[in-house]
Amino acid sequence: MVITAASTVETLRQKFPQAIVETVEFRGEQTIVLKPADLVTVCSYLQKKQQYTFLSSVTAVDWPERIPRYDVVYHLLSIPNQCVLRLKVQVGQRREEHPAVPTVVGVWPGANWYEREVYDLFGITFTNHPDMRRILMPMDWTTHPLRKDYPLTGFDLPEPHWGGQVPYDTDSGVGDQTLRTTGGRELNESRSHISQNQEPGTKKK
Amino acid sequence: MQQEIENTYTIEESQPAGDGQRNDTMTINMGPQHPSTHGVLRLILTIEGETIVKSVPDIGFLHTGIEKTAEAKTYHQALVLTDRMDYLAPLCNNLGYSLAVEKLLGIEDEITDKIKYVRVLLAELQRIASHLVWLGTHAIDLGAMSVFLYCFRERELILDVFEYISGVRMMTSYICPGGLQADLPPKFDDKVRDFTSIFHARLQEYHDLLTNNQLWLERTKNIGFLSAEDALAYGASGPVLRGSGIVWDIRKAFPYSGYEQFDFEIPVGSNGDVYDRYLVRMLEMEQSLNIVNQALEGMPTGAYSVQNPKVTPPPKWQITGSMEALIHHFKLFTEGYRPPAGEVFVRTESPKGELGFYIVSDGSAKPYRMHVRAPSFANLEVLPLMIEGGFLSDVVASIGSIDIVLGEVDR
Repeated sequence: MVITAASTVETLRQKFPQAIVETVEFRGEQTIVLKPADLVTVCSYLQKKQQYTFLSSVTAVDWPERIPRYDVVYHLLSIPNQCVLRLKVQVGQRREEHPAVPTVVGVWPGANWYEREVYDLFGITFTNHPDMRRILMPMDWTTHPLRKDYPLTGFDLPEPHWGGQVPYDTDSGVGDQTLRTTGGRELNESRSHISQNQEPGTKKK
Repeated sequence: MQQEIENTYTIEESQPAGDGQRNDTMTINMGPQHPSTHGVLRLILTIEGETIVKSVPDIGFLHTGIEKTAEAKTYHQALVLTDRMDYLAPLCNNLGYSLAVEKLLGIEDEITDKIKYVRVLLAELQRIASHLVWLGTHAIDLGAMSVFLYCFRERELILDVFEYISGVRMMTSYICPGGLQADLPPKFDDKVRDFTSIFHARLQEYHDLLTNNQLWLERTKNIGFLSAEDALAYGASGPVLRGSGIVWDIRKAFPYSGYEQFDFEIPVGSNGDVYDRYLVRMLEMEQSLNIVNQALEGMPTGAYSVQNPKVTPPPKWQITGSMEALIHHFKLFTEGYRPPAGEVFVRTESPKGELGFYIVSDGSAKPYRMHVRAPSFANLEVLPLMIEGGFLSDVVASIGSIDIVLGEVDR
């Protein structure tokens, strides 16, 4: 039997009905949303029995308004069958600072660095990971930059005009954040108080 | 946190072995400022005599937050960020990104043959240019100075082509979602032929200089082994995977941008050592030259961008004459276009390996999330497998044979 992404979805539906939350097809790409507890079982089944021997990438998406908050996304590739598949698990309950996902390093050793990257940039930990350290950011960094609540520049900027400058005069687009108002002046001055050592996105020490 | 830092930087104490002899190891630091790490790669090497016992790559010195920045740019603006990742092959990055955005928009079918051919032609020229930089730096790392000068001489001709079509030598952003930024200038093919007519002979010169050179063989053969199983398990791709003997090329497996219309072969190595990876890339350049010639011969005529007003601005002559066209152009470049909510992952074969763009749209004009599956990132992960157990002097050869670009590793 030829294995395709669609046939894999069918097989998984029959073999692991309890593990699948939903399946989505968009633009011809198959996505399977799994429960975190069953991730490793399903992955090793896919790796061994369905020949998904190649893990292309592991990444995450942050949806701050949603519970669970994060999608952890796995892109699989089957070289013998020339087909691709996307797996997702959803984690992150309310006020959970570091949600945990079981690691797939045991299935694909290459997941090691990808999972470190997700931990570094999103703060999602991977249980049983052999080397859970930051990989891109400095080792003493405390926050996780790819979260949506992490500011892009370190300041709240008036949107969408002015290229991040606090404008001198009023404009319907920026409300009262101008240099003629208290709020705008405070915003402008708040920049000079940001010290070189203060990490963007953290409270002033 | 302190523990994390200590785990990374502690130097292991040498312990007496069972026979009472001390196995003295030394931990040395290579990089981030080192001419042979091709950027800002840092390696923490534990050596015992001349043998590498353990190696820990330390990356992130060039982390520029491209994925974060892209979330604040419109789809068209985010294009220029992709140039700066693999800065030796910007057009290949543009191509991957453009294909992903087009798939998200659902306008793949509107891409004309002309666009596909130009994209393929430029991507293959870019592959040759990238491989030339690799060859030059790899050779200079191992002591062959003159190859470097020759390679950059030929690369200059390719950059001339890019300058001729787009005005920019490196970060062209010429391939964009919806087609190309501008039409090809007249006598474009003459400019390309300036390069293709001489390159075959030049490639032969490189072969003469290195391929059977006894010094080169001694420095590259039987070192830096990577087995096919390891390459697969660690997600290595591109010439690193093919050097280990696995026939896998995205251009053949999932043909994109009309690659199915071109006739080319996939060079494969057998041992998985540094020499095999060298040979795979050398033969790949020949295949790329072949594809460039085919694209040049069969270049169709037609429009250089899709005729879809949602994505493409109106032509310049309309903008100067019509208020509606001017507004249309203005809205398109200030607000951008809005793909439907959804997500796509598009793989392309960049010079370094499998380059994947994962773009999540929430229906707004900016990508909600853009993740790049960088081939160098995964390829660098196998470096410890290649160098552990080998000699210190072979580390440089192994790094060169992976062909990493730190801009892409750290993004």
